[in-house]
Amino acid sequence: MRFGHWLRLLPSKQRSQQYTRVRIPAGAFKKMENIQQQTQTKSWYDKYYKLMFILPVIIMLISLVYLGSFYSKHHDFINKDVSLSGGTTITLTSSIDTDLLEIELKKEYSDINFRKLTDITTGKQISFVIESSVESEQLKASIEKILGYQLTDTNSSIEFTGSSLSGNFYRQLIIALIISFALMSIVVAISFRTFIPSMAVIFSAFSDVVMPLALVDALGIKISAAGIAAFLMLIGYSVDTDVLLTSRALKKKEGTLNQRIYGAFKTGITMTLTSLAAVIPAFFLISGLPDSFRQIFLVLAFGLAADIVNTWFTNASIIKWYCTKKGIN
Amino acid sequence: MVKLTLRIWILIIVLILALLAIAPWKAFEQGVLIKSVEKNSTAFDSGLRQGMIITNINGQPVKDMESYSKIVSSLFQNQTNITELTQNQTNQTNITKISQTNITELTQNQTNQTNITKIIIQTKEQEFVIFTNTLDITVGNIPKSNLKTGLDLSGGARALVKPANVSLSSQEISDLIAVTNERFNVYGISDITIRSVKDLQGVNYMLVEIAGATTTDLKELVGKQGKFEAKIGNDTAFIGGKRDITSVCRNDATCARIESCFEVEGGYACRFSFTVYLSEEVAKRHANITSNLGINTTEQGRYLDKKLDLYLDDSLVDSLLISEDLKGRVTTQVAVSGSGSGNTQQDAYNSAKESMNKLQTILITGSLPYKLEIVKLDTISPVLGSQFLKNIIYLGLVAFFIVSLVIFIKYRKLKITLSVILTMFSEAFITLGIAALIRWNLDAPSIAGIIAGLGTGVDDQIVIADEAILDINVGIGERIKRAFFVVLTAFFTTVAAMLPLFWAGAGMLRGFALTTILCITIGILVTRSAFADILKKIQQ
Repeated sequence: MRFGHWLRLLPSKQRSQQYTRVRIPAGAFKKMENIQQQTQTKSWYDKYYKLMFILPVIIMLISLVYLGSFYSKHHDFINKDVSLSGGTTITLTSSIDTDLLEIELKKEYSDINFRKLTDITTGKQISFVIESSVESEQLKASIEKILGYQLTDTNSSIEFTGSSLSGNFYRQLIIALIISFALMSIVVAISFRTFIPSMAVIFSAFSDVVMPLALVDALGIKISAAGIAAFLMLIGYSVDTDVLLTSRALKKKEGTLNQRIYGAFKTGITMTLTSLAAVIPAFFLISGLPDSFRQIFLVLAFGLAADIVNTWFTNASIIKWYCTKKGIN
Repeated sequence: MVKLTLRIWILIIVLILALLAIAPWKAFEQGVLIKSVEKNSTAFDSGLRQGMIITNINGQPVKDMESYSKIVSSLFQNQTNITELTQNQTNQTNITKISQTNITELTQNQTNQTNITKIIIQTKEQEFVIFTNTLDITVGNIPKSNLKTGLDLSGGARALVKPANVSLSSQEISDLIAVTNERFNVYGISDITIRSVKDLQGVNYMLVEIAGATTTDLKELVGKQGKFEAKIGNDTAFIGGKRDITSVCRNDATCARIESCFEVEGGYACRFSFTVYLSEEVAKRHANITSNLGINTTEQGRYLDKKLDLYLDDSLVDSLLISEDLKGRVTTQVAVSGSGSGNTQQDAYNSAKESMNKLQTILITGSLPYKLEIVKLDTISPVLGSQFLKNIIYLGLVAFFIVSLVIFIKYRKLKITLSVILTMFSEAFITLGIAALIRWNLDAPSIAGIIAGLGTGVDDQIVIADEAILDINVGIGERIKRAFFVVLTAFFTTVAAMLPLFWAGAGMLRGFALTTILCITIGILVTRSAFADILKKIQQ
């Protein structure tokens, strides 16, 4: 330790110079290298990187526990919207008294949801969305009775998904999600050809899916087919920062490990923040977008936020630990 | 003058090609687009076809839909007396060149009407002169470019159909599609696409899409099983269904073929013939009905004095002359023959084949051995769709602006920011160009895919730019190479992750996967490598 202090006091340019002047028997050289490695880089990151791993582990545990309890309650991992559970969505495009309609329809149907869509630029309400698990004819008739006029394709949109299809859809999308994850894992494994770094990337991608999923459930958001598609995209999309980090940490020869991780962090965080910047406006304009669009951007935004934690806490900690163990400096 | 590298040249060329594919100058074109032409109408016979653009009618310029309907309504204004003439005088009053599709047994039961008007229709390419009392064409506005928006943005109706309780083979599903197409033709619905979609589990569905506003009740139309009836006079000879028609010979040259082709006045004609197998019961009924009929002698041969009329959903779709030797005879095998004609032998052959397929389809209609179930039915209001599109474009612009701003703040270099913006723009533009080229309907998920693809594009450019700026110890080429490891791995993971969406959920989210993969592939192959070259130029 004393040795270390001595080194650190010198300006960095002189360090290597100083180092060569010290005459040490050849056998002690390796030992000294080790000492140098420890001392040179003993920054806060070296002290706390293992501790940093705890944060994502805690979030992950909370997410998993939440998803577990969610599953035991709902017998599923997500709140499915009518496109996945079967039912009808009716969108009224004309301006109507929505309060009255809401009250009347609630009397009739127990499982009914409402949503307003507004024009982005003017803020005016452009349409009113009604969702229920009943058949389209039935819901249409009820609405027509309350409004007192016919619903046509100029004043409304009607989307109906039969329960036989929706169940099938859902199963397939889940299968697609699993295949997607498997394919991504294969690509990562082929790229790195080392076990632990690959696993770190794959685990990070897994967390990128689990954390937003728990958040979406906790917020009571109903997921549509497009939402699940967004999770698929997240699997492929979120690993780019992990790949960046791992490749820089493992493959570069210049700079210290910490410098390389920090360099990767600077690049990676710019990437994620830029992506978030592109996605976040959608949140403010969300009321004026088609449902599929809303779902995709919502999931991507949650996923990108989770990716910051998973790449720079989880993956970085693992890779740092791995490199230290393997002596990659 | 900066010397451009090969990659930058490729980018420029691809951009120009994309521009040609999108063809935004179509927005300035005047005229109306023919969306469909009724088959066997005078308009069709005179050569008017779907996709032509009408620019002028009887000397009056057609600017848009409004002026078109004004001109057309003035054309037939004074026609109130429509007299029905007897059959078999078909097409004779039309002075225009008529392609005789029905020469022999197969004749079209067209009633003739008086008050023929001469109409000169000028399309972009040529002029058509038509003598008719009604224009059997539907037209629409010319699209502003080759880009097409999906149903959720342009409005329309969509039904996903599958037979209840059975699963269909590819052949069966294509039969179902042919039958449905035939039935929709009867109702004169244009702008419709019917195709099969297959999901991950190999289940075949039929997807029916009608673009734009539609007054048709798609549910009624698809859900209802096609009703087929063959009548001789007022007597029903047989109806659709396996009980009456045991089978219709198709795709088997021994019992369904084009028999001969020969030269006729003004072109060629080809004859086709195929066998229909009837049940014993129908054969007897058929014999009963025909035994009371008289015999007509015509130029083509001797036929019974009543025809076999084929009705689809209660409207007459075809009439067949019954040959003399079938009179009173009990037979379960009946040959149906007819002909097609055209300017060349190949045209005549194709026309005969088309007529044969149509007749075969009509005969098997209603004999579908299963009930159809509509598993998804969406009717989207065009009003709402256009609102969505407006909002999406607005959102895209805002995102574009913010990303550019973030890049500028990070790098504080106008050149890098501009080249990132340029690359983003190029990727979006080329993706749209390919979408236009392959006639992909851009629905909301497709557009989301493009925006997400741009996101990965910007990410990749940040990787490349950071590598280019940092670590001056290593050569720029080496640094760019390293950056491409990250870019390529990220590319392959995204493609791998999106791939299952092509099949999952009957391909309803295929657009999302397609545009994303397109966008990032263009990025890898064209724009991002060009961007790397541009950065090298900036660094030097």
